Amino acid sequence: MNLHKLTSRLCPKATQKFRHLHIQSSGQQLEAVAVETASAEANPLSVFRTSERDPTYHSEGHSGQYYTLPPTHIQKLFPYGLPPRFQLQIKTFNEGCVMVRPPALELISYLKRADYSKPPLRYVLYGDIGTGKTMSLCHALHYCYSQGWLIVHVPDAHLWVKNCKELLPSSSRPSRFDQPIQASQWLKNFKITNERFLSKLKTTQRYVWTKRESTEKGQPLGELIDQGVNRMKSSSDVVGAVLRELRLQAGGATEGEGAFKLAVAVDGVNALWGKTSLKKEDRTMCEPEELTLIHNLRKMMKNNWVKNKKKLEGIEGFDNMEPFVPVSVSNYNEKEFESCYLYYLDRNWLQHPHSRSEEGKKELIFLSNKNPSILERLCAFL
Amino acid sequence: MAASVRHLLKPWTPSLCLMRWSRYNPYYLDPDPSKDARVPESELSPEEKELQELKTVSPIKAALSSDTSSAFNDPLISKFINMMMHDGNKILARGIMTQTLETIKRKQVEKYHKSPAAKREEIECNPYTVFHQALENCKPIIGLASVQKGGKSYQVPVPLTDNRRRFLAMKWLITECRDNKHRRTHMYEKLSQELLAAFTNEGNVVKRKHDLHKMAEANRAYAHYRWW
Repeated sequence: MNLHKLTSRLCPKATQKFRHLHIQSSGQQLEAVAVETASAEANPLSVFRTSERDPTYHSEGHSGQYYTLPPTHIQKLFPYGLPPRFQLQIKTFNEGCVMVRPPALELISYLKRADYSKPPLRYVLYGDIGTGKTMSLCHALHYCYSQGWLIVHVPDAHLWVKNCKELLPSSSRPSRFDQPIQASQWLKNFKITNERFLSKLKTTQRYVWTKRESTEKGQPLGELIDQGVNRMKSSSDVVGAVLRELRLQAGGATEGEGAFKLAVAVDGVNALWGKTSLKKEDRTMCEPEELTLIHNLRKMMKNNWVKNKKKLEGIEGFDNMEPFVPVSVSNYNEKEFESCYLYYLDRNWLQHPHSRSEEGKKELIFLSNKNPSILERLCAFL
Repeated sequence: MAASVRHLLKPWTPSLCLMRWSRYNPYYLDPDPSKDARVPESELSPEEKELQELKTVSPIKAALSSDTSSAFNDPLISKFINMMMHDGNKILARGIMTQTLETIKRKQVEKYHKSPAAKREEIECNPYTVFHQALENCKPIIGLASVQKGGKSYQVPVPLTDNRRRFLAMKWLITECRDNKHRRTHMYEKLSQELLAAFTNEGNVVKRKHDLHKMAEANRAYAHYRWW
């Protein structure tokens, strides 16, 4: 364990990092306190926390430790992308802490080492329910965001194929169906996440939405998105146009400003190929092919664009997706479980006196089988 | 010896049933599922020694399937879940209870993390202590019974047993949360609000208890009508 390295890194950053860690002392007080006491206080905490906020520097040594997501990043990057229970946790604990785990580290190392001149690589995070696939995806997305990539994130593809309130026939093609609400929602979120890119990127061709509205060639991407947000009817087509633009432009530009890296992350990628629960007007079931959003997303998944990296997430592998790099996500191991347990103790979450004893801990291990989501649900009412 | 034991263990049809649905012979002991460490013989008082010996000899009733031997098992919470249960849907009732405890804990822990260090000690984060304390605050001390005298029935103030008090507190809590809530609030949300209010002696259930006390105080004159 790199306790020594961590303490030496913790001391200069004591002011910012310890605002939550130590309930009794505030950051300013710690600065005044001698270095030895700071490191002594840090030692029991550094077992499950790390002060390294940048995912670029996360390594094997940090495995099993919690790192804090900066609040500004959470607002920008994940207004919708985090699992709902995790969002509740952020609200309750007043901070967002993610555990650094091997699958996420693996994915980040692939992203670091990948060759960008070749056709894009696809990664699939797979595993049982509740093992932490979405959280690993969010960790890797945080890395991409801090590196300055452009992020296309579909938080849950299942939301697009079921429980859709409005299904309009498509304005551009006769056999397709549009979903205006979901499309405009996604465009709004895309805007929040990727604001800095919106003025830089320009459209490469002219798009005609209706007889009176069209977007000319060379307009900034921000206008295209505003078009989609304001005019709900054509928002699905706008989504298609945006994805097309991104695909064409992502790696091609060699000028200074144009070059950027694109990351596509889809949570629940099975939804793109499975059955939908939507019905057409004559009460027959809708195929995923017939939905504009799904069709455009599938085009993104194909391997025929240059100089980009994509990553996906699914529950099982797909023939459509071949070839891809599989990354398996599993339950907590002993060290990770310890660290999770200590984190809950630190945040004052495990309240039942029995759960704080050794026997209680054994019971928790037995009941949850070290599955992250089951453990979280158990500790919620204990 | 075997014949006498068999005679005793026959299905026993009582002439006077003290408890609903109780088919057990009275000398059957209740099961104690807790894993308490055995206290050595020297520390037990003579009555407790007798009790221990009785446990080794006499038969014990079958344990309920909802009781566990782990220390997380709380008899008060189990009783409350049983009272909340409708049509035998224990899973739903237990789910509501766990969600209630979680909501209480979330609210309290949020308050805890947002408050300054000085006030943190006063905030009670443990949902079990909040529940127990709230129930205590809802229990009435004295109740009213209807007694008929000379053709008229009077509301007579009467002492209540422990079980009756606990039952009344739980019943009031559940009926309050079922009736007086908005159509779209969930049961666990309303329950958590009521429990947190009762913890600080506010809210409708505590008000109902106070009303009962006032009625009993007002009808003090009829206290002599009680003959038991």
